[in-house]
Amino acid sequence: MSAGGDAGAGGRPAIVPFGDGALLVVLGERIDAVLNRRVHVLAAAVRAARSADPRWGAPVPAYASLLVPYDPLAMEQAEANERLGALAASAGEDEAVAEVEGELVEIPVRYGGGDGPDLDEVAARLGLAPEEVIALHAGMTYGVFMLGFAPGFGYLATLPPALVLPRRATPRTRVPVGSVAIAGEQTAVYPVATPGGWHLIGRTDLSVWDPRRDPPALLRPGQRVRFRPVDG
Amino acid sequence: MLEVLDPGLLSTVQDGGRPDLAHLGVPPGGACDPWGLAAANLLAGNAPNASALEMTVAGPALAVRATCVVALGGADLGARVKEEERPLRPGTAYLLRTGTRLVFEGGSGRGARAYLALAGGIAVPRILGSASTCLAGGFGGIEGRPLRAGDRLVPERPGDLAAAGRSWPADVPLGPPHDPDLATPVHVVPGPHAGRFPPGALEALLGTGWEVDPRSDRTGLRLAGPPLPGAGGGELVSLPMTWGAVQVPPDGRPIVLLADHPTVGGYPVIAVAIRADRPLLGQLRPGDEVRFELTAIDRAQAAARAEQALLGRGVELLGPDEEVEPW
Repeated sequence: MSAGGDAGAGGRPAIVPFGDGALLVVLGERIDAVLNRRVHVLAAAVRAARSADPRWGAPVPAYASLLVPYDPLAMEQAEANERLGALAASAGEDEAVAEVEGELVEIPVRYGGGDGPDLDEVAARLGLAPEEVIALHAGMTYGVFMLGFAPGFGYLATLPPALVLPRRATPRTRVPVGSVAIAGEQTAVYPVATPGGWHLIGRTDLSVWDPRRDPPALLRPGQRVRFRPVDG
Repeated sequence: MLEVLDPGLLSTVQDGGRPDLAHLGVPPGGACDPWGLAAANLLAGNAPNASALEMTVAGPALAVRATCVVALGGADLGARVKEEERPLRPGTAYLLRTGTRLVFEGGSGRGARAYLALAGGIAVPRILGSASTCLAGGFGGIEGRPLRAGDRLVPERPGDLAAAGRSWPADVPLGPPHDPDLATPVHVVPGPHAGRFPPGALEALLGTGWEVDPRSDRTGLRLAGPPLPGAGGGELVSLPMTWGAVQVPPDGRPIVLLADHPTVGGYPVIAVAIRADRPLLGQLRPGDEVRFELTAIDRAQAAARAEQALLGRGVELLGPDEEVEPW
């Protein structure tokens, strides 16, 4: 299995089967802006190929890998592998991988109190004052690396090192919609009420997911996000 | 039209799901046993992926408010018309008369999910291209939630009674082409992280009779048994997941992802159940024993084509003129 190596450093991406109807393209195994841009460039190339050849499914980008489903009733794995390998090779050379400034989305946040019940505990564990946690969190510009976990849930990175904490030991059974949370190097806004193990430091009234809106998700990969503290 | 008197354990409207929206974090959804859904729909004169009711282990009680035709697919959960002492079995389309009640009183104990189809499908709004209930997102189906008492199931073609009395063709299997009761194995191919597990881990997965844990749901089957040795290194950087992925969390007890699985995950994937065995996975219930058997991708794809051809035979004999969409 070649999925173990980091293929991100200019090497050829590894393509491994993920079941009998999908391939996984592994570009690396880190949360890294350049790797992630390469994932989305390849996703765009697969979507373009799909519009001409419906045997491809809709690609699913993640931090450093891309799932490419195909119709096993119409395409054998060897053909899918060969075609995807060619796409990956040419997308890797694409100048679009060069850094571009994505659209900026500003998210107003009420930090702390009932809206961010973990703020004080997070501050204590990090050896910071709650105000310092807020200033650090709102002082960064984050990239949208991928959507996943729940409908419209955008994984935003990268948190400043001073805010990095592991997930909560015991996940909450219900995180309120709009909660602004941190975990590891990541931050996010919970788009729907769901169980969750991240630390809740604030809350926004901005709707990040509405299945009846077009597009339903506020966030999309490539955008930049800033959080702006507002009073409750 | 049917009115819900008692919703049962977990009854949701499902169709072919939303397979193309994983990049937005939307699970594929749809029937956990796509074969059972297709069978019920074809009997009712519908396209295989029309919207129907998926019922789980303990089915609902429904009052018939307007005469209609229903058909059942998937597990036998002991359906009968209470006033007529008439049992309703998967594989036949039945006429239900106004004023009677359709109840599910426990069946054979085999299979987890039954499907109830109405003429034309169940009339609910299409959200993001599908009638399926997305429980994680709280949308689709009936208000994005499981059925509750007082809900109404209205057929898309009210008054269409043409399918009454139709029965499933004898030369096409009615259930998944496998029988969980015979401990039919679930076929898997090695997963993207199989090579990272210690030697013997894949063999241990294949050599163990796993018990389906009661905490299983539409997101996945949680399996109980001797823990598998871990892949080490804790969680991975989150990567995309698929229906059928066999994840191994740090506790070593595998989780097989089903239709409502989260679109990304961080646990290593030791194996992936093949597409042709999705109907079987969807019918495993808590307490069932499940075994895994290794196959090759080309054989898995041949099995998917064979299953689709069988479904095509069912469509030919029973179905509407519409084109069959694969799952």
